[in-house]
Amino acid sequence: MIAAAKASVVQIYTAGRGIGAGVIWHSDAVHSEVITNAHVVAGLERRPSDWLRVVTADGRSFKAQVLASDPRLDLARLSVPVGRLPAAKVGDSTRLRVGELVFAIGNPWGQAGVVTSGIISGLGSMTLRGAGRTAPYIRSDVSLAPGNSGGPLLNASGEVVGINAMIFGGDLGMAIPSHVVAEWTAQETWA
Amino acid sequence: MTQTDSMLVALSRQMADAVERIAMSLVMVSGRPRQPATGIAYDDELVLTADHVLEREDRLTVQTYDNRVLGAQIVGRDSSTDLAVLRVKGLNVPIAAAAAEARVGQLGLAVGRPSPEGVMASLGVVSKIGGPLRMGRGSVALERYIQTDATPYPGFSGGALVDVTGAAFGLLTTGFGRGAAIVIPMDLALKVAGMLTKQGYVKRGYLGIVSQQVRLPPAQRSDAQEYGLLVVRVEENSPAEKGGLLVGDILLTVEGQPINDADDLVAALHGDRIGKPVAVRVSRGGIPQTLTVVVGQKG
Repeated sequence: MIAAAKASVVQIYTAGRGIGAGVIWHSDAVHSEVITNAHVVAGLERRPSDWLRVVTADGRSFKAQVLASDPRLDLARLSVPVGRLPAAKVGDSTRLRVGELVFAIGNPWGQAGVVTSGIISGLGSMTLRGAGRTAPYIRSDVSLAPGNSGGPLLNASGEVVGINAMIFGGDLGMAIPSHVVAEWTAQETWA
Repeated sequence: MTQTDSMLVALSRQMADAVERIAMSLVMVSGRPRQPATGIAYDDELVLTADHVLEREDRLTVQTYDNRVLGAQIVGRDSSTDLAVLRVKGLNVPIAAAAAEARVGQLGLAVGRPSPEGVMASLGVVSKIGGPLRMGRGSVALERYIQTDATPYPGFSGGALVDVTGAAFGLLTTGFGRGAAIVIPMDLALKVAGMLTKQGYVKRGYLGIVSQQVRLPPAQRSDAQEYGLLVVRVEENSPAEKGGLLVGDILLTVEGQPINDADDLVAALHGDRIGKPVAVRVSRGGIPQTLTVVVGQKG
């Protein structure tokens, strides 16, 4: 279950330094898209395209470009010019329940593909600054470190139910539900 | 899907069910500024919570799982066990089930209702079953307690540590300091709650000695007793001094009950014995003798 999910997790690098994790969200014959946190790639939008790289679980490195980013939701979409990267299985985060088992995959302190586990601690909503609306979020007790930012929160079936974002002192993590990610990417594509 | 994978899915569902079950018995308790805490419905119109979260005695409210806000009155409170009982008219929520005795290593879910947004939970295990828990100058706060590594989020005091069926091992509190989550076993919490509803406070008997556990010489051991309590200090004007206890005595029994450790002594000095003479058997210089001590009251 974890092994299959790991294939869809990438490490994000800039200037040879690991800065976070990402999830392969979508791929077709010629290109792939990775979701990560906006804060992971903040300020990198206008850099030369080889500035940002993603490294897949099997160790291949590709250049990437920031397609879109929303600091209020803390989401960013990266474009990778290579086809058929293994896209993640996405679960229905509208049906999450407090107490459910969850796993995180990320790169805490530079170690790639570290798995931690816990449960859904709470489901809440936060007010988005300046947007005049709220967005749901997930709280979990999964042990997380800065390198988990942008990585997946998985349910017991190995489906991505969230993107790990803010981390508070190791025992309370915040994740953006996958249905919020799906709504956002749909908006970006069709708006 | 492999067998392990489907086990994970089943466990995940069971834990969410457990949280859902206890959630209906948990109320949000507003009794201090800013950070509400949690309470457990344990009887008709009665809620157990942590004493330290009640920073005021009036304008107390609870909020139920179905978002009703109800007024609450303090029935009784006891700072040494950090327990308080609230009466809530029209509470009408399911009563929390008590779990069988906790075992170290069992999965435990800490569940609280720290905000109107709903319950929160964290996962851990029963890390330790210990006791007695001492406060300040050696006085015993709890005969037994459970420790867990589940994260106590802000507002979890008064909440529950439950097993994977949603039955409560006990009431969770961080009121004993050091930021650690201490769980007061449900049977103990209910015993204190019983005293609080009956008389509003917890009576404790006391002798006025400081003691330490010692192994008895072979001649004085029995099947029921291998240890005794060596008296190392006798408080001035205390019931013990008046009854003739001396430093160096080894406490053997109280009213015929063997005293193997401090727990046994606490149990023997229960509230009903306050003001009454009890037979205290000691070994003095290797010779057993029986003294009569009138149990005092403390706390």
